[in-house]
Amino acid sequence: MFRYIVRRLLQMILTFFGATFVVFALMFANQDDPIQALAGEKPVSDNVRAVLTERYHLDESFPVQYWYYMKGLLTGDLGRSMAGRDIGEMLSGAWPVTLKLSALAIVVAALIAITAGVWSAIRRGGFFDNSTLLMTLLLLAVPIVVLAPVAQLVFAMELRWFPATTTARAGLYDLLLPAVVLACSVMATQLRVTRTSVVENLRADYVRTARAKGLTPRRVTWVHVLRNSLIPVITLIGVDLGMLMSGAIIVEEVFNIPGVGFNLARGIRAEDGPLVVGFVSVLVVVFLVVNLVVDLLYAALDPRIRYE
Amino acid sequence: MSDTRSRSLAGDAWTDLRHNKIFWASGVLVALILLMAVVPSLFTSADPAVCTLANQNQGPSSTAWFGYDFQGCDVFARTVYGTRDSLEVGLLSTLLAGVLGLIVGMAAGWFGGVVDAVLSRLTDIMLGVPLLLAAVVFSGRLSSPFEDGVFAVTLTLGLLTWTAAARVMRSAVITAKSQDYVAAARMLGAGPARLVFRHVLPNSIASFIVVITILLGTNIAAEATLSYLGAGLGGDAISWGLQIAEARNYARIAASPLVWPSVFLAVTVLAFIMLGDAIRDAFDPKLR
Amino acid sequence: MTDIKGQVDALPGTDPRAPLLQINDLHVEFHTRDGVAKAVNGASFWLNPGETLAILGESGCGKSVTAQAIMGILETPPAHITQGEVRYRGVDLLKLPEAQRRKVRANRIAMIFQDALSALNPVYSVGFQLAELFRVHRGMSRGDARKRAVELLDQVRIPGAKSRVHDYPHQFSGGMRQRVMIAMALALDPEVLIADEPTTALDVTVQAQIMGLLAELRRERNMGLVLITHDMGVVADVADRISVMYAGRVVEEAPVYDIYARPGHPYTRALLESIPRLDLKGQQLSVIQGLPPALTDIPAGCAFHPRCRYAKDPCRQDPAPPAYSIAPHRTARCHFFREVLGE
Repeated sequence: MFRYIVRRLLQMILTFFGATFVVFALMFANQDDPIQALAGEKPVSDNVRAVLTERYHLDESFPVQYWYYMKGLLTGDLGRSMAGRDIGEMLSGAWPVTLKLSALAIVVAALIAITAGVWSAIRRGGFFDNSTLLMTLLLLAVPIVVLAPVAQLVFAMELRWFPATTTARAGLYDLLLPAVVLACSVMATQLRVTRTSVVENLRADYVRTARAKGLTPRRVTWVHVLRNSLIPVITLIGVDLGMLMSGAIIVEEVFNIPGVGFNLARGIRAEDGPLVVGFVSVLVVVFLVVNLVVDLLYAALDPRIRYE
Repeated sequence: MSDTRSRSLAGDAWTDLRHNKIFWASGVLVALILLMAVVPSLFTSADPAVCTLANQNQGPSSTAWFGYDFQGCDVFARTVYGTRDSLEVGLLSTLLAGVLGLIVGMAAGWFGGVVDAVLSRLTDIMLGVPLLLAAVVFSGRLSSPFEDGVFAVTLTLGLLTWTAAARVMRSAVITAKSQDYVAAARMLGAGPARLVFRHVLPNSIASFIVVITILLGTNIAAEATLSYLGAGLGGDAISWGLQIAEARNYARIAASPLVWPSVFLAVTVLAFIMLGDAIRDAFDPKLR
Repeated sequence: MTDIKGQVDALPGTDPRAPLLQINDLHVEFHTRDGVAKAVNGASFWLNPGETLAILGESGCGKSVTAQAIMGILETPPAHITQGEVRYRGVDLLKLPEAQRRKVRANRIAMIFQDALSALNPVYSVGFQLAELFRVHRGMSRGDARKRAVELLDQVRIPGAKSRVHDYPHQFSGGMRQRVMIAMALALDPEVLIADEPTTALDVTVQAQIMGLLAELRRERNMGLVLITHDMGVVADVADRISVMYAGRVVEEAPVYDIYARPGHPYTRALLESIPRLDLKGQQLSVIQGLPPALTDIPAGCAFHPRCRYAKDPCRQDPAPPAYSIAPHRTARCHFFREVLGE
């Protein structure tokens, strides 16, 4: 177990440097004139230009700029956005509502995906199975960029079941519609993996043993089969988080939820390079850490890995 | 020997596919979408670039089936013409990702050892950055107001999405390498190129096609998302993502400019995903 | 223990004088894409308390399916029990409602499987899997059930039972794992234990230990043991009686020494001749010609006739040979049993 953790930790550190390097290199690669981009069509005075160049180290070489970037990232100093706001502060103000939104989305997605996945595995080929299959196909096909505005139009504006927009202090109910939309982006894959995994496990020898022990079918499925089947589903959570982060940009933008995604979307629109790179870098770090946690969780669920 | 085997597998799969309604439905849809992208004028006589503000947000009529948007442009015409840019980005970026994935995966699988370690780590690193996050950084300012951004978005998506294809090819090569007949062919002095084309590719092409088909769908969706966020297509490009972004603000006044690009986008993605699903079902012997 | 069993799992209609287990004319079919596979075609045998019955046959002869039909754990579909009776103390289990049937499992009839590694759930500790039985069937508390689990591991001679109870199946060696399986099967003091190839996956030395343990536990508890195997060598020391199965039918049934001395069915004879023997060292080992029939296409008449050197015309025609009573307590389904016996 200890060796497993150490190995994963070392891998993560490597991936951290690699991934942040990719982000930085991407930004550097398409940097033509960020100052002009900020100002738009208006001319920029030499004075302002000099200040901005100094602040963002724009006249330095690639390695030097990368050094400043990594230093900022590791010390938690993300610098200032083009509009002059402290990026770290923006982030700390934005994350609570995003966390609430994504937690809700994960719960919604997992509840529906696991229950429906197990059900359709037990009754595979039946009506329920076939309709879930169709539903997952539709969910996979409708991108969030379609789902979010349409859901807002139908359920919030026309039917008025949910509020169309929220604030930073949004309650759970206010966040429910956006969370469901967000959940849709990961639900289909989770459901399909659960189903396949349960189908495979139902054929396993240990299921026969469990039945020979005189256990009820319910106990066999929900205690013996489910725990085994969840192992591949757990590994999905890591990948799903990436989907959720991407989805949150759209969902928060559409529903006006002042979270991380909302700020990021604004930064993209305003072509605010430092803000976008700062936010993305932090999200990448979060993504990596969560993936590490998922791997450890995986080990907790599967004793065969734990004692490797 | 491998040839007859793979041929019969392909033959079986084809027999399976021929009787699969989902395959035909998605195949016809894909063909229709491709036709729409190549000759949009076949589907609409209106010019998507001609917009008259007087028509602003007008409802559907016999001349404009889906009505007019906020700018007074024909929604149907713009939606139909939007197919071209979307597919162009989708196809080209998937092609790029496929070629990259093929090369990286095969190199990692074939050479093993250090090469494999380095390339696998590289794949891990790429997977460490969620696609959209990397894409917004990369393509954000590539599209100046005067360019349509097709090249930039294609390049971005292609460079960021090759990992799945690489993983499939890597494991396919490793599996093939350990098979007796490939080992025998190697001992008989067959070169890597010959082995790859005669033994590895025929056996792994199915899973590769599946990955690529599904990637096509997701890349088209990613393009729309990037365009929606203002980090994708721009300028005089017509994109479903741009249409959705614009129409959203007036959705309560006129829903049609929002709904139709959404429907087209969803149907296109669905068609490719269904096609990939059908091919996978046909080739996956476990499900038979 | 018996008191608790009486309260918790009362099974109405049991007759203490009836045989412990009696299988009559059992038929099991599998409905597959390639047609109907007739896995069991009229298997019959009985078992008394304290007795060991070995069911012998090649793989695919229906012995495992019979065992699973007795347990009631066949997957339906594809498997269907089309005919026959499984009587436990006179009660036909096939007619019981599922809820009562479930109480018979593990409580009255328990089973152990061939490959203990895949038969145990990989993600739960063996303690959990043992304690589960007491918690579900006896309503015991977590702590009490855990204590009983340790006792059980002790009883099957697993060293350091107290600490090993927390271990997972993959942490045990093959032999120890099979001991865990045995402990699990014996947890609720069943009267019948069905062991399906319990030693096939094990090393020879470990095989002997496990067989010894099974024999010992059977004696201690006066259980009926059904030992399913393809290995004639294994059963010689342990079994009291042998039922030889071929293509889903019991073709010969006899006390163990009689069958070794003078087999009454050509198939049994062929099986015996294929065992390597020290006194015949240097001679060529005989093998049975041909393969067992496909279960979707069982030959008419005696199913063994295509491979049989005694076969004559009557063997190739329906009906199949009846169970001839060839000696006291002995039956054989062969028209020419006299020739086979060498009379």
